[in-house]
Amino acid sequence: MSQHLIKDLIPREELLDSGHLACPGCGAALAMRMVLKGLGENTIVALPACCWSIIAGPWPQSSLHVPLYHTAFETGASVASGIKAALVARGDTETTVMAWAGDGGTFDIGLQALSGAAERNEDFIYCCYDNEAYMNTGIQRSSATPWGAWTTTTPAAHPEAHPKKDILSILAAHGIPYAATATIAHPDDLIAKIRKAKGIRGTRFIHILAPCPPGWKAGDDETIALARMAVKARVFPLLEVEAGQRWRITLDPPREPVGPYLRKQGRFRHLSDADIAQIQELVDRRWETLERRVRDGG
Amino acid sequence: MPDDRGSPDLAHGVPPVAVSSTSTRVNLTGSWKYIRPVYQDKVAPCNQGCPVGIDIEGYMNLLREDRIEDAIGLLLRENALPAVTGRVCYHPCENACNRAWLDDAVSIHGVERMLGDLAIEQRILPEPETPRPETVGIVGSGPAGLSCAYHLARLGYTVTVYEAEAEPGGILRYGIPEYRLPKDVLAHEVNRIRALGVDFRCGVQVGRDLPLNVLESHDAVFVATGARRGRALGIEGEDLPGVRAGLDFLREVNRGGRPALGHRVVVVGGGNTAMDCARTALRLGAEVLVLYRRGREGMPAHDEEVEDALREGVRFEFLAAPVRVESTERVPDREPLEAIEATFDRFEGEPPAPHVAGLTCTRMRLEEPDRSGRPRPVPVEGSEFFVAADLVLTALGEDPDFDFLPEDVERASGVVRVNALNATGHGALFAGGDITDEPHTVAFALGSGKRAAVGIDRYLRFRAGEIGDGADLSELRQGPKGNISVTRWVGGDPVRRTDPVNRVVTFQETNPAHFAPVARAADRHLPPGERRLGFREANLGLEREQALAEARRCFNCGVCNECELCLVFCPDLAISRSAGGGYEIAYEYCKGCGVCATECPRGAITMTREGL
Repeated sequence: MSQHLIKDLIPREELLDSGHLACPGCGAALAMRMVLKGLGENTIVALPACCWSIIAGPWPQSSLHVPLYHTAFETGASVASGIKAALVARGDTETTVMAWAGDGGTFDIGLQALSGAAERNEDFIYCCYDNEAYMNTGIQRSSATPWGAWTTTTPAAHPEAHPKKDILSILAAHGIPYAATATIAHPDDLIAKIRKAKGIRGTRFIHILAPCPPGWKAGDDETIALARMAVKARVFPLLEVEAGQRWRITLDPPREPVGPYLRKQGRFRHLSDADIAQIQELVDRRWETLERRVRDGG
Repeated sequence: MPDDRGSPDLAHGVPPVAVSSTSTRVNLTGSWKYIRPVYQDKVAPCNQGCPVGIDIEGYMNLLREDRIEDAIGLLLRENALPAVTGRVCYHPCENACNRAWLDDAVSIHGVERMLGDLAIEQRILPEPETPRPETVGIVGSGPAGLSCAYHLARLGYTVTVYEAEAEPGGILRYGIPEYRLPKDVLAHEVNRIRALGVDFRCGVQVGRDLPLNVLESHDAVFVATGARRGRALGIEGEDLPGVRAGLDFLREVNRGGRPALGHRVVVVGGGNTAMDCARTALRLGAEVLVLYRRGREGMPAHDEEVEDALREGVRFEFLAAPVRVESTERVPDREPLEAIEATFDRFEGEPPAPHVAGLTCTRMRLEEPDRSGRPRPVPVEGSEFFVAADLVLTALGEDPDFDFLPEDVERASGVVRVNALNATGHGALFAGGDITDEPHTVAFALGSGKRAAVGIDRYLRFRAGEIGDGADLSELRQGPKGNISVTRWVGGDPVRRTDPVNRVVTFQETNPAHFAPVARAADRHLPPGERRLGFREANLGLEREQALAEARRCFNCGVCNECELCLVFCPDLAISRSAGGGYEIAYEYCKGCGVCATECPRGAITMTREGL
């Protein structure tokens, strides 16, 4: 995407305020900013416990120009379902309801509620901004933490021993109308997916990679670069799945090895070259599966 | 629904949940930062690399916005002869281009040539400044003289150029062959300088046809008579008919002469003049061999010239040097039959005058580098061999010629000594081009002419009491090297710049992730077979659309062109569009993460330490 085209594709409207309490260089703050640009002001946000519980600001402040409900950790999808039902009861079928949860509230704690809502095909957009650990509480591993990563609960001597949970496949397997991945480094792709999701009824799931400088032990200025490299290295492919069946890769830049992406992050510093080769193998295998899905359907 | 925010429903006394009533804008998160981003325009490496001092990045950016006329205007501010340099300059700008690290350098010469040709086609004439009372005399109308005349005329001076040849242009007219620089292109650019009011007096050589004191009628004088004296071979037999200085040969052909060359021409030397001689002789129907004492990689000629010569059919004998020019009277290993025929010839008329028959050469090998850092060629003993030739052209470099200058003008190692603005220190006498210590290229000559124009302007304004003498030259330079921007001297830069700093942007400071690889447009060429048939221009340059596509490949290193990625990627919404163009940063909210500076594709944002 040419730089000067990006300028024309991104809506100028801002529905997020400065002064929010995200760390410098926060990918999650940027993710919210871009998603709200795509959704517009007629939106209500249901927000389970996550970094954003802090970023939104302490009472009586709010950094959003749209209504935001702080809710309990496991309830993002249920509260979103309830808000939607209440709106419909009042005759409002236009307002978009968005659940906005971190990876902990999605992959782990909120998965039951999300699965239930997805099964019922509740009419909301569920965005998971994924920074690959419980960052807000002090960098504890989640099931979104990738294999080999350091966190405070998986120290370098015993790094994360399980591969990252494939949340998109789980959601796609519910047969929901739309599921997609996106990153903050590809704002045109992200906003196009948000707009597409907005135009669909039923449960829509968007998984957004949002690098975290303190949690990933990277420079504050490297957030965008890391998200971009994750896509190039195929660690985080840009995808969409319609009705759990039609898989599509939306952006496939020239492939790069995973090494430089991992080496840029302190949380992978302890990895040996053999470890990195193993990650490369995992990534390659997943990509093959993905290509098969794109070819043959879900 | 959004209206509900901040207006808790107190109908029942207590809101059902805690409701926010203010924005986070009360949190001045800018206090968290210890480094801050600032917009700071820097120097693109091409601009520093250009000896002429052209704002290349600036015109590329204007072209990206399809502002072709403004781009021509910006180019003509700094360069007197863009259609010439677009063709014959060896583009050191492209060697410096940061894009080369991603895929290939931008074809800057191709874009410049397109703009130069368009300026001719549309008869674009730059506006001169207010006229000034002083007059300036210029001796020599090569690139340095033309450049100095152009810029002085634009600065408002009355300029007279004295030229020994019948037409202006110097080396451009009489040295560079037609197939590289068509005469009409040069004539058009000279006419632009004429149209600015410059008076050309051709066919007069100062010191011969005109006494030196004719220059005293001028308030200042610029001397740029060039290097016209070819170096001698320094071997036995070089005075024989059929041994000729290459430059002399080129001058004859450029005057329209078509000398008979015989069948075999040998060119001695490996520089650009040697390539010009070889390719010209080829076009006159000869078989051409170039003798060079080092290898291919040691040749001072530019790669493109050597490649073209090879493509057109010039042969090369590397690691070979002549030791003796052989006369027709004494040829070492002439075929016996040929010798008998020559004897018969002798009976039929006057004995023919002795003429060159060829060169006895020796093989060379390369030893430890000499002081110039290049491997030193030394003869291999007993390796002598003979090369037949009907004409030998020598192209071993040229020495400057300024014997007519007053004795007390300071000289050093064969050149005239000048200061940073080309003053000789001898009153109002300035000098430039090949008679000063400059690389012998068109671009350096144009640059020195421009520097002298600024020097003369400064000298005359100082003499008139209009300015002090304390101008800081580094302010006029693009980057720390020696070129000078006349725009910076005069002021009125049409390009908006934010806190410009005179530092060159490295590739590491750009963000190549924002540029997709795009192949560089190649110049169109006449097929080599056709080139040998005459003097038609060999390189046909780029189509206009190709040139515009090249401009879009430009990174615009160091200069904000409002791509807006900084604003798009700011997590703190601290960047907004500025009313006067560009962007401004709300430092009270900016947390100093540096995402904007890192993501800036062109290194136009700098992180600076906070509060120091």
